[in-house]
Amino acid sequence: MALRFISVLSIVFIGVFCDEFIEELFIKPLPPTHLYSYFQFITTSTADELFLHSHLSPRSIGEVISRFQVEELHLTLTEGQWRHDQWGYPVFDAAPGAELYAWFNPRVKNIDKEWRRLSATLSGLFCASLNFIDNFNTITPQMALWPSGSMHSNVNATTFLRYASLPREIVCTENLTPWKKLLPCESVKGFSALLNSRMIHNTNYHSIGIHVRKVCTKDNCTDTYVEIKQTVALVYDYKIINTNNWSFRYLFGQGLPGACPLASSSKIYVDVSSNDTYPFHLSPTPDTIVTSYRGGSDIKLAIYNISMSTEMINIGAKYNSKYQIQLNMPPPLHFSRHILGYGKEFGGIVTEVVNNYWTDIDVVVLENAPWWLPIQLSSLRVNGEAKSKLVIAQYYSPGRSRQKPYHLELLLKLPPRSTTTITIDFEFVFLKWQEYPPDANHGFYIGAAIINANLPTARNYTSQPISGVTYDSIINASQPWYPALFRTNGAMVSLPTPDFSMPYNVICLACTVVALAFGPLHNICTKELVLKPSGTSLSLIQKISKMFNK
Amino acid sequence: MALIIKYIIAGLVRYWLIHIDYWQTIANRVEIATPLNSWKRLVEGVFLYDHNINPYEGDAFHESPIMLIFFHYLMKNVPYLLPLLFTTLDLLTAYLLFKTSKSFIKIFMESQAKNKCEVAEESYKLLLIESELEESAEYVLSTYLFNPYSILNCAGMTTTVIQNVLVAASLWGASTGHAILACAFVALATHQALYPILLIVPIAILLADVNKGCNKCSYIKTLLAFVLCWGFFIYISAYIMDGSYNYVYNTYGFILTVPDLKPNIGLFWYFFTEMFEHFRLLFVCAFQINALALYIVPLTLRFRKEPVLLATVLIALSTIFRSYPCIGDVGFYLALLPMWKHLFKFMQQKFIVGCAFIITSALGPTVWHLWIYSGSANANFFFGVTLSFATAQIFLITDLLFAYIKREFTLKHGSSRRIDDKPAILLLR
Repeated sequence: MALRFISVLSIVFIGVFCDEFIEELFIKPLPPTHLYSYFQFITTSTADELFLHSHLSPRSIGEVISRFQVEELHLTLTEGQWRHDQWGYPVFDAAPGAELYAWFNPRVKNIDKEWRRLSATLSGLFCASLNFIDNFNTITPQMALWPSGSMHSNVNATTFLRYASLPREIVCTENLTPWKKLLPCESVKGFSALLNSRMIHNTNYHSIGIHVRKVCTKDNCTDTYVEIKQTVALVYDYKIINTNNWSFRYLFGQGLPGACPLASSSKIYVDVSSNDTYPFHLSPTPDTIVTSYRGGSDIKLAIYNISMSTEMINIGAKYNSKYQIQLNMPPPLHFSRHILGYGKEFGGIVTEVVNNYWTDIDVVVLENAPWWLPIQLSSLRVNGEAKSKLVIAQYYSPGRSRQKPYHLELLLKLPPRSTTTITIDFEFVFLKWQEYPPDANHGFYIGAAIINANLPTARNYTSQPISGVTYDSIINASQPWYPALFRTNGAMVSLPTPDFSMPYNVICLACTVVALAFGPLHNICTKELVLKPSGTSLSLIQKISKMFNK
Repeated sequence: MALIIKYIIAGLVRYWLIHIDYWQTIANRVEIATPLNSWKRLVEGVFLYDHNINPYEGDAFHESPIMLIFFHYLMKNVPYLLPLLFTTLDLLTAYLLFKTSKSFIKIFMESQAKNKCEVAEESYKLLLIESELEESAEYVLSTYLFNPYSILNCAGMTTTVIQNVLVAASLWGASTGHAILACAFVALATHQALYPILLIVPIAILLADVNKGCNKCSYIKTLLAFVLCWGFFIYISAYIMDGSYNYVYNTYGFILTVPDLKPNIGLFWYFFTEMFEHFRLLFVCAFQINALALYIVPLTLRFRKEPVLLATVLIALSTIFRSYPCIGDVGFYLALLPMWKHLFKFMQQKFIVGCAFIITSALGPTVWHLWIYSGSANANFFFGVTLSFATAQIFLITDLLFAYIKREFTLKHGSSRRIDDKPAILLLR
């Protein structure tokens, strides 16, 4: 009887539960030498705000979202540098180190306070140093970032946005473990079982992320549901795995132990477009092969539907020829950033944006310089010109030492087939000795610049359309333009350092010099000159002998 | 004629230095340009203001709003005149100092005539002769025109050039008895750099001496005029910034709290770089009191009768101990020293101080290059040089004061150091 009651109860509850879990893996060879694998674990929940009645969505994230009234949240922890000119575009680009940005609900009164509390909470949740986020490294981007979920349409979304990146953050196993714990199957079953920290930190580039947004249930958007997307992006180097005939065993150290039983869909997508030029053989044979025509480029996707099974699945590719040199078609837009100058007094940041395409591309470039790297707006040059016609709009918020970073945004119209160089000068700041991090001469990291572009073509474009939830939404998703959010490479500068070993000496010496003035001035002001009879003056030797005779 | 040639040569040198290829290097030198006065920051501030961004929102600009709109107007309308303007202003400073020292000579002669009865017979040869003093006025001019510190300061187009004009103008106003002029200029200088506020004391005394009459009324009038002028400038500045007084944090606040620790020739930068954070406030207060308030009362009491000396010493001391000094300030007070030519023979450390000035001026740029560019030296080297430069300046000033009291003593008691035909030594007691 009791057993029956429980089963009835559970049926009732399952009817009430309205969350869904989907796991997906996208693998794309980046010939000639790399392989991109991208995991996404999507949890959608139409449950109440606090996730009190959910069985799949991570409760901790739900509480963070509702406590701090976050509308949309993006957190990535990244190690390595995505090379856009060689590898094309990732599904989600991420800045080196830790990056966090969030939109708050317009009802929030003190956004800066909530923002600090949010970052501190996430810091505990992911064991990352996000608690170092404060006003002095937070900006409010005006043009570069736009929400991907639903937002209240009657307010200016940028007002409720906060962005911070910590380029020095080192991503490690300790971040991956709490991240995996948010998944319903943790790392026992399903795709997350492949995420072996031993193997994934052995890559050229790895990035873990969590993206939370609210998606409209209907077209008129009267109701929304929460979508939590946990992502992992890995770029393997064939040299590191010692072969270009990749397989799960090589990449992840083990095969796939079947789908997560709680997932409503488990699919693996392998981009086999490069099979035409550099043929390889997939094993086991995929369930279907779909050709997707999207924005002037067609890609072939091999799709595996993974079911719950007890045997290990080992998907792999075997290349027919040993090695082939390939010419990569560079993506329509790529960029690089570097530091100018020598010495530790003055320098400059150069951002080069290359448009390979045959039409204009509109991009927003966001330069975010920390307070200890004061940039001078008067030295901003676009292609060497102070007043460039390419700049359509500009936003600048000057920084303040120890309080606010420097923040520059440029809306540029890049002419077809051109390289645009943005140069801005900075001056090195001399910090207090306690403000230097340990190993001060290692250098200081500068966060990546953000580049937001509306690409006219989907060449090398792998991101999902903004309305898509699962990865198959990319198939035949042609649009007039493709919004893309990129991060340039970070940079590093070496600030001038004081001598850390001598605070006492400096304090003593400087005070001595002040006393050198004070003493005589005190004498002059308080005493008067008098004549005093003197004995015959003694020579030095006499003085010394007198001293010893005492 | 000789004077005009001096002006022309000095003007040409300055104008030429602004136009040579190394101008950028000169304008960026740490010894010349501080965060407070550098041309680069002025350009940035004006640029931001021109783009409707409040330059006081960030950390780039620390000049007063009056300077901001002044240079905004100039850079928008007559940018080509700026080198000429700086050269002219510097020449004007020299001219004003020349004029000032001429009127100081009159004050010297008057006070000497008044005190002549107290002079010992054997010290008559120490008395000042007008022709010698005339000469020293010309030395003042030449020192300002050809002092490399002043020349480089002008060539770097720092706003210290403007501050020097203002201070020189206020001294000239005081020496000739133009009370309002003196107060207005010293208030403007104070508004720009805060430290010239010290000058109001010697100026008040000078004005009372020159204008004769009720001393106390004169002091009060001067102080009142100064406070009103200063308040007016503060108000006007706020009016320029649309009624916001936030600029005060970026001007006076910046000068007083020393947030930017970029090296300069002063004592603050390394001291507060190496300071323990919880003692910072204490030492900031101590150092600022040392620069702004400590010496003014005792020196005023002691040298009440010598406002010119008081002015010289206060300018020098505030230069040595200010938070962002530059060699332009040093050049300015060095130009006042030839007025005290008659004290030079009582000074004991002329040689040491002279050598220290030359050596530190040569070593400073060298160790800076070693530290910042070749990476083969560290901050201590540059700190050592600035420390010895400050020490040399302190020796110079204290030596000058000792020379003054020694001369005073000698005038009164004669130059023989004997009591009852027994040898005696001069002591402070």
